[in-house]
Amino acid sequence: MTRLGTILASPVIAALLALCIAPLAILFVYSFYQVDFVTISREPTLANYAKIAGSPTYRGLIVRAFGSAALVVAITAVIAYPVSWFLAKRVGAAKSTLLTLLLVPLYSGDLVRIFAWRVLLGAEGVINRSLMWLGAIETPLQSLLFSPLSTHIALVYNYLPFMVIGLWLAFEALDDAWLEAAADLGAPAHARFRRVVLPLTLPGLIAGGLMVFLMVAGDYLTPQLLGGASGITIISAINDLFGTAFDWPLGSAIAWTMLAILMMAFAAGALAIRRSSLVEGRT
Amino acid sequence: MHRRTLLQSALAGTALGALAPATRALAATDILWMTWENLAKDDYLAPFLSTHDVSLTKTFIGTDDEQFAKLRAGGASSVDLITPGLDKVEFYTASDLLQPIDFEKVPNAALLYDTFKQTPLGKMDGETYGIPFYWGINPIVYRADLMDEEPDWSVFFEGDKYDGKLAMRDYALEGIMIAAMYLGIPESEMFDMDDAQLAEIKRVLMIQKSKLRTYWNSIGDLTNLFATGEVVCAFSWVPPYYDLRAQGIDMGMAKPKAGVIGWCDTIAVPKGVEGERLDATFELVNYLLGPEYGKMLAVGGPYAQSTSAARDMLSPEEQSKIFIDDLSVMDSFVWKKNPPRYNEWVALWNEVKAS
Repeated sequence: MTRLGTILASPVIAALLALCIAPLAILFVYSFYQVDFVTISREPTLANYAKIAGSPTYRGLIVRAFGSAALVVAITAVIAYPVSWFLAKRVGAAKSTLLTLLLVPLYSGDLVRIFAWRVLLGAEGVINRSLMWLGAIETPLQSLLFSPLSTHIALVYNYLPFMVIGLWLAFEALDDAWLEAAADLGAPAHARFRRVVLPLTLPGLIAGGLMVFLMVAGDYLTPQLLGGASGITIISAINDLFGTAFDWPLGSAIAWTMLAILMMAFAAGALAIRRSSLVEGRT
Repeated sequence: MHRRTLLQSALAGTALGALAPATRALAATDILWMTWENLAKDDYLAPFLSTHDVSLTKTFIGTDDEQFAKLRAGGASSVDLITPGLDKVEFYTASDLLQPIDFEKVPNAALLYDTFKQTPLGKMDGETYGIPFYWGINPIVYRADLMDEEPDWSVFFEGDKYDGKLAMRDYALEGIMIAAMYLGIPESEMFDMDDAQLAEIKRVLMIQKSKLRTYWNSIGDLTNLFATGEVVCAFSWVPPYYDLRAQGIDMGMAKPKAGVIGWCDTIAVPKGVEGERLDATFELVNYLLGPEYGKMLAVGGPYAQSTSAARDMLSPEEQSKIFIDDLSVMDSFVWKKNPPRYNEWVALWNEVKAS
């Protein structure tokens, strides 16, 4: 970087350090402290990390958060592939309109979308009433709402646009000649997808997947409002520790454990994108 | 007009214009009150502000914990008055964030109900740091049209008739207090339970969880769940009872004989408030415990202030609505306290929810 570049970039770097890195660094330091009522003891200890490792509750909640995130990534990918292909390859003038429509739900707040799902999935909701009117069920399906099912339906709905955008960009860059060549060589549809489409859209899949993964892992409002009695997440547990229990050190340690795992996932994703780009470059 | 005269006039006018608001700001003492939005409505405070040379800035809290976190993180110096729960004052005094109440400057405190005069909560070393301000109960609220009889705490732990139709507040302190009351653990032991008692609490809370539709976090959300019939019975705050009755739904409110959780918020003055600001702050405290504010809070809240200042100004119906028609009701209250092992309570609560 030139001297002028360094000077111009320094306010941005300073803001990044002050607003992003410093708070995380403070959390990291706190994660080695202990709390006694409302007094924080500043004797460094690994006790909080040991507590997380030894607690089936916190371990289970962390696994549940990442399991949920992985599941939502998988479902959104399955839905987003045909949608993105259609947008990139089969739509002409209406493309920008359809993309805008895809993003419209994001203009409303999280709470609006969550309560809309309540209206649809509730015991007196649209789906239950319709099923009863059709005679498919006699009593409302209670498990539609306040269950892992309703939570994951809403999570998929909330974050699908991010996966579609990632894959749409990849499909836009995909040269049709590759598919035509594969077809000319007699490759059936599944082989064309597996050996041509998937490798060439992998960067889009990974980028979209990472975005969805990060956002689902950090979403506590949707599980809290749609998950019912089992709607606890590791994020709401951290919230309890910081607020109700005034256990900032343990909350910091869990937050940093989550962050470390997410950073590893991000690094793995970036590495995978780099590798797939290299493969693409060689071919 | 000569150009120089014009310029001088313009400058003088500008200077006076700039000075005018500054003079007003200097004349009024500006105090900042951190509190719940429902306590600081403009019409509640108008009589005080019209008779005192005080400029009041309000900042609102969403939870008691948020208030403590803000002060603990260094916000105390900019705040003149806060509203912590009676059970939470200990957090603030242990963190050396409060100054004692100067009762000579709060004559209306003489009208505190005996319960609040005698409580050891909010006090330390003979001084009061959080003066009881307003109070109420958290009862069981239920859909009387959808339940056969008035419930008690056992509805959350026994039988299966209302499984999947119950709700509990997502709050470790009250959730565990309710389990303790159900198990018959006396109040004298409730906040200092041993390992065996906590294990028993966990066992019954696991049973409770299997019966719940959800844990609620906001009272607006719970009201909505009652209205749509998703929930027929919940440990609740009082507002859904009145709000839904006003909408024509047959609601019931139960106060279990095993005990009712009583809550009380206090008014407390952070350390560092002094001089004119301190005097103005205590004048506001005195107003908040007085008759004008008390009547508006009772009618508009509806909540009871901690003094008898407005009691005789209220009709029997209004008194009944805020539980001050028969003050012996307080005898059945279990006031929230801060358990020494609260971290373990929160961990237990999370274990149950995560199971």
